[in-house]
Amino acid sequence: MTKRFDVIGKPRRRVDGRAKVTGLTRFADDVVLPRMLHCKLLRSPHPHATIESIDVSRAQARPGVHLVLTGKDFPVTFGILPVTQDEYPLAPERVRYVGDPVAAVVARDEQTAFEALGFIEVEYRPLKTISDPEEALATPEPRIHSYGEQGNIHRLQAFEFGDVNEALAKADHVFEDVFFYQGNTHLPIEQHASVAAVDGEGKLTLWSSTQVPHYIHRALANALQIPPAHVRVIACPNGGGFGGKCDLHNHEIVVSKAAILLGRPVKICLTREEVFYMHRGRHPVLMKMRTGVTKDGKITGMHTQTLLDGGAYGGYGAASTFYTGVLQTVAYHIPRYKFDACRIFTNKPPCGPKRGHGTPQPRFGQEVQLDKIAEKLEIDPAELRLSIVAKPDSLTANWLKIGTIGLAECIRKVVASSDWKNRFRKLPEGRGVGLACGAYLCGAGLPIYWNKMPQSGVQLLIDRSGQVTVFCGATEIGQGSDDVLAAIVAEVLGVDPYDVRCVTGDTGLTPVDLGSYSSRVTVMMGNAAIQAAELLRDLIARAAAEHMETVPENVGFALGRVFRADDPGKLMSFREAIVLAEEKFGTLGSVGSYSPPRSPGRYKGAGVGPSPAYSYTACVVEAEVDRKTGWITVPKVWIAHDIGRAVNPVSARGQVEGSVYMGLGEALMEEQVFRRLPPKLSNALVHKIPSLLEYKSLTSLDMPEVFTELVEDPDPNCPFGAKEVGQGPLLPVMPAVANAVYDAIGVRIDELPITPDKVLAALEKKAKGETPRVGPESFPDVPYPEPMLVPPPWEGGDGNSVNTPRRRPLKKEALA
Amino acid sequence: MKAPRFAYARPASIAEALALLQKHGDDARVLAGGQSLVPMMNFRVAAPKVLVDINRIGSLTGIKVTKSFVRIGALVRHVELERSADVAKHLPLVAAAMPHVAHPAIRNRGTFGGSCALGDPAAELPACTLALGATFVVAGKKGERRIAAQDFFKGLYATALKPGELLVAAEFPLPKPGYASAFGELARRHGDYAMVGVAAHGLRKVGKFSDMRVAFFGVGDRPQRASGFERALEGQPAVDGALAKLDADLEPRADLHASAAMKLHLAKVLADRVLGGLAA
Ligand SMILES: Cc1cc2nc3c(=O)[nH]c(=O)nc-3n(C[C@H](O)[C@H](O)[C@H](O)COP(=O)(O)OP(=O)(O)OC[C@H]3O[C@@H](n4cnc5c(N)ncnc54)[C@H](O)[C@@H]3O)c2cc1C
Repeated sequence: MTKRFDVIGKPRRRVDGRAKVTGLTRFADDVVLPRMLHCKLLRSPHPHATIESIDVSRAQARPGVHLVLTGKDFPVTFGILPVTQDEYPLAPERVRYVGDPVAAVVARDEQTAFEALGFIEVEYRPLKTISDPEEALATPEPRIHSYGEQGNIHRLQAFEFGDVNEALAKADHVFEDVFFYQGNTHLPIEQHASVAAVDGEGKLTLWSSTQVPHYIHRALANALQIPPAHVRVIACPNGGGFGGKCDLHNHEIVVSKAAILLGRPVKICLTREEVFYMHRGRHPVLMKMRTGVTKDGKITGMHTQTLLDGGAYGGYGAASTFYTGVLQTVAYHIPRYKFDACRIFTNKPPCGPKRGHGTPQPRFGQEVQLDKIAEKLEIDPAELRLSIVAKPDSLTANWLKIGTIGLAECIRKVVASSDWKNRFRKLPEGRGVGLACGAYLCGAGLPIYWNKMPQSGVQLLIDRSGQVTVFCGATEIGQGSDDVLAAIVAEVLGVDPYDVRCVTGDTGLTPVDLGSYSSRVTVMMGNAAIQAAELLRDLIARAAAEHMETVPENVGFALGRVFRADDPGKLMSFREAIVLAEEKFGTLGSVGSYSPPRSPGRYKGAGVGPSPAYSYTACVVEAEVDRKTGWITVPKVWIAHDIGRAVNPVSARGQVEGSVYMGLGEALMEEQVFRRLPPKLSNALVHKIPSLLEYKSLTSLDMPEVFTELVEDPDPNCPFGAKEVGQGPLLPVMPAVANAVYDAIGVRIDELPITPDKVLAALEKKAKGETPRVGPESFPDVPYPEPMLVPPPWEGGDGNSVNTPRRRPLKKEALA
Repeated sequence: MKAPRFAYARPASIAEALALLQKHGDDARVLAGGQSLVPMMNFRVAAPKVLVDINRIGSLTGIKVTKSFVRIGALVRHVELERSADVAKHLPLVAAAMPHVAHPAIRNRGTFGGSCALGDPAAELPACTLALGATFVVAGKKGERRIAAQDFFKGLYATALKPGELLVAAEFPLPKPGYASAFGELARRHGDYAMVGVAAHGLRKVGKFSDMRVAFFGVGDRPQRASGFERALEGQPAVDGALAKLDADLEPRADLHASAAMKLHLAKVLADRVLGGLAA
């Protein structure tokens, strides 16, 4: 690609920017249809109970109430992963967390529906509540679900790539640390909303705040037992998603069913409190890391153990569990690697994917541990990392294929911009800097259900009016996917991106794209878009070449003109060229599709972790710690991200800054925590702070200065070389904060969030001469299975396992 | 969710407002800036049947300086206090507190009277009225009465206002010569209610504290003066010796974000810093 770019890489207003800032974007809550009714859900006040009886007669008799639904109206279970079909749209017999929906009212307006909920009488018989993983391990009965590994263990996974004990034995030092990462929630500004309607033929359309219309399409048809061909899901632009809109949610099924039964449109908008309870956010994870290093800082082997508090349902949890282990190997060279992971059911809102899906937790542990290693070995933490960065075009111990890797460049950039060498361990007491890195997927290699079809499809329509319309199932969740789509098509066809119309996220109109998750959109949709646009460009070039008396290869496209490359004075407008092409070929259209390359790992479980490319980030955080109050302030953050190539640098930087914002919230204050109500009030585990007034996350006024740099080393697997930027830049922020706090005041806070009380507790320990550390003291005894043994590539492996662990084999379903 | 249904009235005078409040009794609620009441209604923590909107009552507005006091009308917006030259000159404590009250958008609507009538234990203005020895002017069906700030705040969101009464204004005595004030608070984020805050006012002469009035907020169920601490400061050149008195003066309550012990600790650190600032 020697051509200079007209669109790619140019800082631009986003194609959807104007509508967003003028309030014209139509979010799901803005959808208003004639004769539309409104729905509210009745949710369980108990964390764990059986439903003895439900009497809806009084609610049904309220004026304005059209329909009351309960569990018996929904005989079929659902769940986003084929392996975990463990949820009911409305609980028929059993509730598993405070907030589990048990009934729904559909009424003429929201107020009437809300008031009618109070007339539904539900008799519950409370069951023992399981509030955390350690309690669950000790309490196999009652089981929250009848499936899973045993007792209240949902998932167990164990893999070993080379003999790690031997690697640790040969190391000069072995570091063992236990870390805890508290759960937190996505906090999109837009609360979930859905509208369902049936057309004259009885076919269903669902408008929804969802990141994954295709998965919702499949799962919804199954949940309602209707043919998928009669279901259309339209993902409205999301007012932020961050992973919270990736499941099929109860309310989406309920309003769909209600619309079918009533023949009228039905809408639901969740309250913020409901969003907190519906959750699906970051898993609380306890982790233990044992890492062997040589005295010059080379890693000899690593053993990561994780314990995830999954909450009440499976959701994406099986995938989350994998992700607490699989991506540990793509940043640094780890010759031998073992990971054991365990996910537990508890009676709390279900956890799931949040930005970074399962990887921020172990990344936090790994990066803080590296800081400890560097200190012990008396090596600068930046130098230590530079010396162990994974190699380009290499395989990892767990058989992931790394292509380009700009991590070293990212580290060098933040070291330079932050003046690291003059600051690290050199700032006055109370001020410090910390460095950390991260690595992330550019799209999960496999879809969540097993199939060999493309993961992204793009269709293009062009006609004599000069208009270019691009159709793709990708979903604009605020991250800028429409802008990437328009930019790529515009670049290939040489037109203005603002002249490209994007029709996206509509399963009735657009080719399948798996959705906005796992940072897959730019790479997968982008590659499909290039393919489609090049096909059309070739047709136009052939028609134009004839006219300009040259060969198609000599036809150039730029700035809305089609011209002879060897004689640019010979030109015509793009529109004139289309007329020629339409005359020659008839109606013009094209399609493109993308499937990621096959991953070399062949063992069962190798499906999670592969990606067409990995993005890398390095970050330096400066922290000021008030030793008397424990207050931490972050005045500056320097961050460099290996993006391959920025399609639109403005929007890319926005993603990086947004990641810093989210990362600081997770590092310093956000927590999804629960408390028990007094026994006379049901003893329930309720959310401590289900409101934006009290759930603390940063405001714009609390943001530090952020110095963002983009490292551009185009990756051949990516469209114009562009990798992801939506999730990766989050990862280093949290550990960099922890490392900065250590540099500032010499205490280790090995758990997130790092709150003032923890800082003070650690300082008190330090003053008393105890180990100046606050964090989990021990790791419980988890019945991890015998690991699947897979020799790493350099130990003669072929990507297959060499044993068959004595346990239920992992299902073939691919997890992402 | 939005607020439950309610009726709305907009009286033009104090008398009309009082009549409406009397007529609807417990069903009625005064609406001032609405920055606390409306969120409470949306959260369905409050469900008044009638809102009596006092925003058109001219006699509740305005900041007036007389020979002996500064009078602040109940409807004076936070932003007016923040920008008023009279407040900056005569009540620097209030001026120092204002940037800590919520965010600019909220300060544009929120009122002085609303803050005091609400009686949030973590609010800044009630503590300032205590530290400055202000007197509240209250109108009821039997006429006006005056309540010293010291007697006004009764507990968690509870004040001396009786049903049917309207807060009209507060009168702050003009500070005597040589008196100075200082303000500080700790909040996790900009614009949050304080986790702990201190408003202090008193005399600094020849390097010693005298006649100190130190009000804490965010530590108990209401803003409160620390009387033992104040006495211990009398005649002292520095703060340290008096800090231990706060153990007895304050009874912090744990909340969602801090334990009682943490709050007491922070109160001491803050008192030391704020009064230290005064000494400097
Ligand atoms: C996000 C957020 C952050 C905030 N942070 C802070 C903060 O840091 N510090 C702080 O002090 N405040 C804070 N507030 C509250 C804000 O300052 C409010 O404006 C104030 O507490 C109430 O004033 P108001 O005029 O809006 O009263 P309203 O909301 O209208 O009324 C509040 C209560 O007072 C009663 N009332 C009002 N006026 C009178 C009167 N004249 N006579 C009798 N009763 C009356 C009402 O009936 C109601 O019960 C915050 C609010 C929000 C939404």
